[in-house]
Amino acid sequence: MKRVYTHGNEAIAEGALTAGLRFYAGYPITPTSDIMEYLARKLPEHGGVLMQFEDELASINAAIGASWAGAKSMTATSGPGFSLMVEGLGLGIITETPVVIAYVMRAGPSTGVPTKATQADIMQARFGSHGDYIIPVYAPSSVQEAYDLTIKAFNTAEMLRTPVILLSDATIAHLWESAVFREPGEVEIIERKKPKVPPEEYWPYKPDEDDGVPPMAVFGEGYHVIVESLTHDERGYYIQDTMVQRRMVERIVNKILKNIDKIFEYDTYYLDDARYVFISFGSSARSTLAVVRDLRNEGIKAGMIKLKTIWPLKDDLIRKLCSNADKVFVVENNMGKLVWDIQRIVRDREVIPVSIIDLDLPSPKEIRSVVDKWL
Amino acid sequence: MQVLEELLVIRASNEKFRVSVVADRCKECGLCIAVCPKKVLVRSNKYNKYGFRYPEPARIEECIGCRLCEYNCPDFAIYVEEVRK
Amino acid sequence: MAVITSEKIRPGEAYPLDKYLRLPRIPTLWCAGCGLGVMLQTLLRAIDRRIKEGVLHRDKIAFVTGIGCTARTTFYVEFDGAHTLHGRAIAFATGVKLANPEIEVIVLGGDGDIAGIGGNHLIHAARRNMDLLVIMNTNFIYAMTGGQVAPTTPPGLYTTTTPYGNLEKPMNVIRLLSAFDVNYVARGSTVYPQILEQYFYKALGMKGFRFIEVVSTCPEVFGRHIGLRDPVELYNELKKRVKYKPRPSIEESELDWNKGIVLGEYIINNYPGYIEYIRERGGRK
Repeated sequence: MKRVYTHGNEAIAEGALTAGLRFYAGYPITPTSDIMEYLARKLPEHGGVLMQFEDELASINAAIGASWAGAKSMTATSGPGFSLMVEGLGLGIITETPVVIAYVMRAGPSTGVPTKATQADIMQARFGSHGDYIIPVYAPSSVQEAYDLTIKAFNTAEMLRTPVILLSDATIAHLWESAVFREPGEVEIIERKKPKVPPEEYWPYKPDEDDGVPPMAVFGEGYHVIVESLTHDERGYYIQDTMVQRRMVERIVNKILKNIDKIFEYDTYYLDDARYVFISFGSSARSTLAVVRDLRNEGIKAGMIKLKTIWPLKDDLIRKLCSNADKVFVVENNMGKLVWDIQRIVRDREVIPVSIIDLDLPSPKEIRSVVDKWL
Repeated sequence: MQVLEELLVIRASNEKFRVSVVADRCKECGLCIAVCPKKVLVRSNKYNKYGFRYPEPARIEECIGCRLCEYNCPDFAIYVEEVRK
Repeated sequence: MAVITSEKIRPGEAYPLDKYLRLPRIPTLWCAGCGLGVMLQTLLRAIDRRIKEGVLHRDKIAFVTGIGCTARTTFYVEFDGAHTLHGRAIAFATGVKLANPEIEVIVLGGDGDIAGIGGNHLIHAARRNMDLLVIMNTNFIYAMTGGQVAPTTPPGLYTTTTPYGNLEKPMNVIRLLSAFDVNYVARGSTVYPQILEQYFYKALGMKGFRFIEVVSTCPEVFGRHIGLRDPVELYNELKKRVKYKPRPSIEESELDWNKGIVLGEYIINNYPGYIEYIRERGGRK
């Protein structure tokens, strides 16, 4: 392992390299262009290929194609680019393709402020594409977490055969902190399951175990796989039948939910005797932690849950962690989105939105001005 | 793995060439009958399992083995082979 | 009268190219007389020849398609295949090729899929001389969705979205691609399958960007719009409107039903493909 001093975007790039990235398809967009620039130099040294494509539509489709040729692949973008990628995301979902999308949120809507942060895109990250599905979304709040959660994103994508989103923001992208990077062998790297049967018996969308994840043969291995964007049965054949649609959609959703314990990550601070619980994620969690410490110094029993996985959420766990609280505050840098989930989950406590729009990150002072009215 | 139903195949040959029609794949487009320069093929009155009337090499003695029927069939339903003695 | 024998044969042994077909899905969903069946048969012949020569490997061929009638080809072939999004097949195929250059990637799509919604990806793949074989099936209409106007529909024609007559001129993809340094651009047709097979065969032995436009018949949709719904009638009409010339010039490549659509090999070059560029100077190893 080695100690480094770097910024969030480089941590994402290095995390990808540690996880075994071999293909990057991208398009320049502030604030992620430097991920692509860094990997343009580094990825060939690791035996991979990087290409800047003509637009985000090509980037996401090429990343999925490369995954089907056997490479761990990723792309990185921001709000306007992700809006273009959502159809491709749907392709990755229905074909159950492991691919990582680094989504570094920037102020919107539309062109917004390219160099500054927001947290308004959590719903788009979760539900951007059409149809029923659940994909894991990880949200780092520091440079170290950007590195670690990128590795986790790749592992989750390979383990569950799904696209995974790493949801960062413009503040963390260019924030410099010290962190620890790992050498190969120091951290677990998961590879996709390969078929244990010969080609005649292999069906690309049939799980071989209870985890709901089919083993994945790729192009060029003699399995003659079918990558199919239409609704398909376990062989990959398009069938217009209610039971086929139901089986396919339910399996794709349930394979994520069944494995939620391997996906859901969070940290807690001062939670044991907390009467006021703060929930936050990403860069907002940094200010929120400062507020919680200030409150503790003033003798107020405040505690915090920092969500590192913001989708899917473990409802029963969040409910349990809030079970001793009088009030729950949800701090986020948008007009109020995560708070809807928390209000749904923690039904018997007062859940107060602390929704502060800030181009950098909500300041502790502003958070306090909202919270103090409720203490 | 998957057991597939057998297909009806009809054949006729002269001394040099044998024409085979995979009757159950024919969709009655009529192209093979139209392109044959020697009018070897004729639409039969017999139906395949999907309800299409497939062609028969009724005038097989005229066949010169040009394979235009084979090349112009969209359905993998007709082919010509040389008869080897 | 001829002696006609009949027998029952297992699929797989019924037809010489059955080993390349995904037999449970045959017969295809394509209409009677559809040019796609002829195109697929011709392509499989060319692939078979190249496999027998050792130029292509049986398990290292991938068909990548978008959406549309042409795109359904992946259903029917016993090769690795991807049925992806409308217009994005070339982007997907580029990702496959870059991640595993040993695979021969064949992209198939209609004129709407490749040159309409997929136009941007077509242009850039050509600009890069990306090592792909792109086969564009030109049937002058958006057939799968019921007969809307396409980038290649002749002017003045009735379609379901141009009921008062098409106001647009058709796109000449051959001329568009002549703006780039690509290795192979040819136009064939399903009414001349032997010539088309030669083009497929040649392209499968080359590297770099290879593009073959296949002018083909769509009796049920396009044929119906022009009053020629019978497969044989449409075939005969198309055969009158295409002219074969071995090496025509780009000036002759207009998609003009009145002057005649000229088939032939328009561009043949031997530039290094993109994969070769990466190997030479793509980065330190």
